[in-house]
Amino acid sequence: MPHFVPRFLRLTATLLVALTSVAEAAEQNDLASLLRIQAEVQKRLPQVRPSLVAIQTGGGTASGVIISSTGLILTAAHVVDKPGRDIRVVLDDGSVTTAKSLGLDQATDAALAQLKDRGKPWPSVNLSREVVKAQPGEWCFALGHPGGFDKARGAVLRVGKIVKQTANSLHTDCVLMGGDSGGPLFNLAGEVIGIHSQIWENRDQNVHVSMAPFLRSWEAMQASQVIKTWGVGAGGYLGVATRMSDAVELEVADVIDGSPAQKAGVRVGDVILGVNSDAMTDQQQFTATIKTKAAGDLVTLLLRTDGKERKVPVTLAQRPREGE
Amino acid sequence: MTNDEFRMTKEIRNPKPETSPRAPRWLFSSFAIRPSFVIRPFVLRHSLLALFSSAAFADSPRPTLPPEQRTNGKQTLVAVGKVAQPVLACSARIESLLGRPVCAATIVGIDGYILTKASEAPDLEKVRLKLTEGRTAELREIHRDVRFDLVLAQAVGLSKLRAANFGATRSLSHGQWLCSSSGASREPRIGIISANHRQIPGNGAALGIRMDEKAPKEAQGVRIIGIATDSPAEAAGLQAEDVILSIADEPVAQFKSVHEIVNKRQPGEYVEVRYLREGKEESCRVRLASRTKVIQNWEGEDFANGGISLRTDGFPDALQHDIPLAPSDMGGPLATLDGKIVGINIARVDRVTTFALPVESFWTEIQQWINADRHPPKAQAAE
Repeated sequence: MPHFVPRFLRLTATLLVALTSVAEAAEQNDLASLLRIQAEVQKRLPQVRPSLVAIQTGGGTASGVIISSTGLILTAAHVVDKPGRDIRVVLDDGSVTTAKSLGLDQATDAALAQLKDRGKPWPSVNLSREVVKAQPGEWCFALGHPGGFDKARGAVLRVGKIVKQTANSLHTDCVLMGGDSGGPLFNLAGEVIGIHSQIWENRDQNVHVSMAPFLRSWEAMQASQVIKTWGVGAGGYLGVATRMSDAVELEVADVIDGSPAQKAGVRVGDVILGVNSDAMTDQQQFTATIKTKAAGDLVTLLLRTDGKERKVPVTLAQRPREGE
Repeated sequence: MTNDEFRMTKEIRNPKPETSPRAPRWLFSSFAIRPSFVIRPFVLRHSLLALFSSAAFADSPRPTLPPEQRTNGKQTLVAVGKVAQPVLACSARIESLLGRPVCAATIVGIDGYILTKASEAPDLEKVRLKLTEGRTAELREIHRDVRFDLVLAQAVGLSKLRAANFGATRSLSHGQWLCSSSGASREPRIGIISANHRQIPGNGAALGIRMDEKAPKEAQGVRIIGIATDSPAEAAGLQAEDVILSIADEPVAQFKSVHEIVNKRQPGEYVEVRYLREGKEESCRVRLASRTKVIQNWEGEDFANGGISLRTDGFPDALQHDIPLAPSDMGGPLATLDGKIVGINIARVDRVTTFALPVESFWTEIQQWINADRHPPKAQAAE
């Protein structure tokens, strides 16, 4: 009766899985692990706190974080609004200085500002370059000046978990409010993983810009030594809409008039097989691939048109502004 | 478009610089979507929420964290199951005689002494104490203190209660885990010390109205020209164009006298407001709130989830923490994870702030009140 054996084995396997997951859950939820998180946060806080700043513009009060000893500040685009703007900056100890806004990305709400030179290094923190590591379930902590700078109160700390990761953002249950915008979200290593951006009604709906939009433009900034205003939009602009065909292939559903794709001869119904040397199998993968490229980058699409494969080089453009 | 829809999403610069919230445009930044396809969230609330979760899911290598695994989710709270017992044991609820929740209470004596938030429970004859296991008791008011916003009372006929075991707050620092109980079912909630321990200056009470400085055409009273969002005036049903005739039986001749009358009172107090609406005289009861908060939250800027306390300031000393609590949880105990009660939650202030009175600030005095009540001075024999 050989069929009894697999049944028995299967049951055993299921039991083992169940036991393992119970044990894991118990370990994860152990009081000791909560206390370990507390110890990590308390160790990191004095290291990162001096790099938190309050930003005062004509329109209101917000936050930011210094990420280089030369005084580069990460903040939110809706805080600085436009490049070249003079902003008032209050440091953790209450001293006041000024900065100028640099580049910003209105689509993702990422922005940079540069502090005035003060003849000695600024306190700074590192940012996390491993964007994908900021996964749902990881513990994190937020700093900011909700309601504005208050010397007696000082910076306000919140500890929580990452709830969601999207292409350009993180959602956490670290509760934010007005004045926190532009402030830093840290991992337990004390690296910046997000910049506070928006809130929704529920307490668990706090949205931060992830490091992805910042890192995407990092190389260009480093190479030129001058931070330029970034192109509007998240990554380069191609101008095609896709769908999955009945044959479960990635198919061009629409080509936007005047877009780089149209100029390069991409047509509705083309099957997208690859981008540069990477094979493309689904829409998310394709979206993510194009998003990692900047305006001006040349990409080669491998397409199949009427049964024939062809390579189409396309130079990505800047995403048109809304309404243009 | 209703006001409610405007409050769907918000950039968190303070104060809000724009008249309408911007759509979280990054949701729609996928290159495949034409700009003209962008849907405004304040037009289509439910479809946005649907897009929101599906878009996030598609881009997310790990799925969205289920609510039970979040910081105050059931699975995370398993870790504090045992250590939360002391805080749950000494917390109780104050409810109306019809069973409506009013606020929380902290049991401070095994013979039924409790502390609760005075401004939330102005009249102890109209409320009762409800213990975790379901027993209820009438309350006898012993001492009401405006500085701490605490009232000491005794639950009539209850004994052998689990009283708070107070610890010290001196060693607490930013990031330290704390625990409180929330809601009628008294579930544990955790959070941390989130800001400096400090004095919270008071700035008096307010109705939440903007007044016309000119005398109204009716030649008496003061005309209202604006009402603050979620303010005492709004809750009582006052409207722009109403003409206030008197407050707490004091006639109001000019706008300054409104300030004078209101400033004599505490947040949480009721005042009777008589007013003219379309030539007809009417009246309502308004429950005053802290002026600072009414002004700061004039257009609902706080985005406070679950509302805020009526009195949010004027405390001699306060701990600030980020435990997700409701205004009706105020008056309950605050504990460390080693089970020591270190304070009493005293004000839900905004989306990120809750204040607690540290035990050192009030406990010596409260003990004197309890002792005086337990051992009243013997009546002098009549000569």
